[in-house]
Amino acid sequence: MTRVGKRLLVWLNRLENTLIATLALLLVLLSGAQVLLRLGNHGIVWLDPLLRVLVLWLAMLGALAAARVDKHISLDVLGRLLRGPARRFVRLLSFGFAAVVSAMLAQAALGLIEVDREAQTRLFGSVPSWWAESILPVVFGLLALRFLLRAVVAGEEPVP
Amino acid sequence: MTLVLILALVLLLFLGAPLFALIAAVAWLGVRAAGYDQTLLVAQFYGLTEMPVLIAIPLFTLAGYLLSESLAPARLVRLTEALLGWLHGGLAIVALLACAIFTAFTGASGVTIVAIGGLLLPALRQANYPERFSLGLITTSGSLGLLFVPSVPLILYGIVAQQLGTTPAVSIDDMFLAGVLPGLLMLAVLAVYGMWRAPARRRDLPFSAREARAALWDARYELPLPILVLGGVYGGFFAASEVAAVTALYVLLVSVLIRREIPLRRLPELLREAMMLVGAILLILGVSLALTNVIIDAEVPARMVHWVNQHVHSRWGFLLLLNAFLILLGMLLDVFSATVLVVPILIPIALHYGVHPVHLGIIFLANMQIGYFTPPVGMNLFIASYRFNTPVLELTRAALPFFWLLLACVLVITYWPGLSLALL
Repeated sequence: MTRVGKRLLVWLNRLENTLIATLALLLVLLSGAQVLLRLGNHGIVWLDPLLRVLVLWLAMLGALAAARVDKHISLDVLGRLLRGPARRFVRLLSFGFAAVVSAMLAQAALGLIEVDREAQTRLFGSVPSWWAESILPVVFGLLALRFLLRAVVAGEEPVP
Repeated sequence: MTLVLILALVLLLFLGAPLFALIAAVAWLGVRAAGYDQTLLVAQFYGLTEMPVLIAIPLFTLAGYLLSESLAPARLVRLTEALLGWLHGGLAIVALLACAIFTAFTGASGVTIVAIGGLLLPALRQANYPERFSLGLITTSGSLGLLFVPSVPLILYGIVAQQLGTTPAVSIDDMFLAGVLPGLLMLAVLAVYGMWRAPARRRDLPFSAREARAALWDARYELPLPILVLGGVYGGFFAASEVAAVTALYVLLVSVLIRREIPLRRLPELLREAMMLVGAILLILGVSLALTNVIIDAEVPARMVHWVNQHVHSRWGFLLLLNAFLILLGMLLDVFSATVLVVPILIPIALHYGVHPVHLGIIFLANMQIGYFTPPVGMNLFIASYRFNTPVLELTRAALPFFWLLLACVLVITYWPGLSLALL
């Protein structure tokens, strides 16, 4: 990998870490606050759909981070037994496949956003649904790139 | 052509391709075959945001990660030991209880073996428990709390079953209630076995009120947790998602701000680790929502019911087959993927044989719990092997008596529906 590519990757990973930590803290604080507010009958109506979207965003970003360290759930029976070139070939195959599927999901997600933009679907209030959905093509697209990278590079990515 | 595709996907599965990609690929093929647009696939994935209970999964997972990183495991062990250590076989019971409580909070992700097992194994050795018994006990206990509130697998089963709109309906609270007695049965059986295998002591250690008080004081910040969770859920004060919210907030405040056992520097990394697990689970849940729709659209459950009906004529026969199938499944898949993949197909068949969907859930999870340490591929065997630096084969032998005992429990749970449904 080139030096520029490596630095870009470090930068991206750092952004990802910060985003996940911030959103996770937000999830805990907001959902906790909502329960306390509700006890006093002051629950915020739009907070519930927002929290559900927050869960989706966190899950997507978490899934992206999981791909960085090969933490996706899989049935690694044969792969574990292999060594050397055979193992590299199997990685190429299985992660290459994951990259293709992720790219396809990214494309489908773009389609969904288009549909919801045209239909002007609302999440709550005047917030359009496609804002919440926008995480889908971004993460599926990045997942495709990351799986492609993991297909050829084994071991840890440069993590800050 | 279809056959080639299926074979290719099965090959990829065994080669270790990520499960979510395989499920998405199958769903994609199904959507295309039915003549729909592929946008539908992602629209159903986005259905994740329409599940109000889902938020409990990241919140409880997070609370579990924080708890296992703090010194809470050590305090839990100290407390149970102070309260139960005086019993014959007390330490084995301490191990069982501590593991069960801890697994209920953290999910059976192997954290229990690492966090609690590491503390208990030396203690068991020191108290002259047989080496093999101790190893087997710890390896087995790593998945023991699966049926207790607020375990994430219980919640996930409830969520998946709710999606199917069964009659009778399944609620998360039902699952929390149904798990109690079967879980206690497993605990009790293992406790009796532990007392039987415990080494004879020249004299029993007396109960020390002073140590008990000190241990209680030491655990003062953790003690409200079980009360909050049990009281909130069983008392009906809170919904599962609300209990999760309060638990996560409380654990975060205590471990980072009050006890300061998790330095702020470490927090982002912990949050990321927890969210990686959540992401891996929810990604699979999302794509399997799409797959479930494809499966139902193609009337697969109806055909499966018809097919099983031709070969299996009684409810008992079905349940026996179910047990065998689930143990195999539990060996191969972790509980999360197994739930989202298999439950949508299992439920219609079980309903056909008059099995209550809540009872099915408990059967399902009890079998999965055994699967965690069923050789040759049970995940906890590998985690314990790594943690205790012991060959997998040795652990397999150590876990075998426990396997038979818990298998007997699973059979009781399966054929005695009342045990699961009595509290509903």
